[in-house]
Amino acid sequence: MTGTDYAAVTDYAADTVPILPSRMNRAAIAIVRVGAGLLWLQNVGWKIPPDFGRGDPPSGLYLSASYAVSHEVFHPYAWLVERVVLPNFTIFGWLVLLVEASLGAFLLIGLATRFWAVMGMAQTIVIMLSVLNAPHEWYWSYVLMLLVHLALFATAAGRYAGLDGLLRPEWQHSGSWWARCLVRAS
Amino acid sequence: MTTRDALDRAVLMLGVVSVVSAVFVLVHGNFQLVQIRAAGLVVALVLGLLTVVAGWLDEPTLMLAAGAGFLLAAAVQLALLAGGSSGLLGGNASTFSLWLGLGVGLIAVGMVPRPEVGEETSVELTEPHAHEAP
Repeated sequence: MTGTDYAAVTDYAADTVPILPSRMNRAAIAIVRVGAGLLWLQNVGWKIPPDFGRGDPPSGLYLSASYAVSHEVFHPYAWLVERVVLPNFTIFGWLVLLVEASLGAFLLIGLATRFWAVMGMAQTIVIMLSVLNAPHEWYWSYVLMLLVHLALFATAAGRYAGLDGLLRPEWQHSGSWWARCLVRAS
Repeated sequence: MTTRDALDRAVLMLGVVSVVSAVFVLVHGNFQLVQIRAAGLVVALVLGLLTVVAGWLDEPTLMLAAGAGFLLAAAVQLALLAGGSSGLLGGNASTFSLWLGLGVGLIAVGMVPRPEVGEETSVELTEPHAHEAP
């Protein structure tokens, strides 16, 4: 078999072999998606506006973010947090609250799941850069978070017991720009 | 299962999630996934039951109304948090997140055009998608 023939065979296989062939596999990835959604949903609860823990002594999200400086992981990120994030913490606190609340909301219902899986990976990296060297942290917990979101992205997890699976055919038949975005995001 | 049945079942599930979230009024500590207290309990139960009825009756207008109700409750909860308290609704950012998801989900499903009963075709909703490339 030539290289070209082999490529043709594998491309064909990619189009026809289901990602999650059994009902049990689909149920399992739906459970992982809902679990990841609940993780964000519960943990956005301790991001408390309007000061997000900025005070004396610092607490909550402010304390967590300040670990990026006091227990530096990556120097350019520590510099950014010290010079930009901490002095303007109210804005960044609200940004974190809205991103994590949306992660909980959209992963739970399985809507635009692949987009939110990428957002989950990005937010996990931000958290890692803040707290990885902080006391009593287990770095594998953040690596696991990253891998869970990678699995949600790879399997397009919202298509199984999620709204993506229900609404995607409608979006695929619609010619609108918005629907095309949602097809890609799901 | 028809498309209509699948949409209604999804709405029914969203309503059940809201009603079940009322259990967290009794749960505290590590396993309190969402903070439901005070008038938030009424929101979870009333809008949850409205959502269940909307799914049961296959009524898109009710779905949209329940979705708008959840989004309004989420917006009010967020405004109360910005003011520095849980306020009348008694929730926190987790409550906002849950109601945001339920509201967006109901609006998304409620806006799907429904085929007339006579035009409906029976479709398998999981298998064809399972065979799609990601």
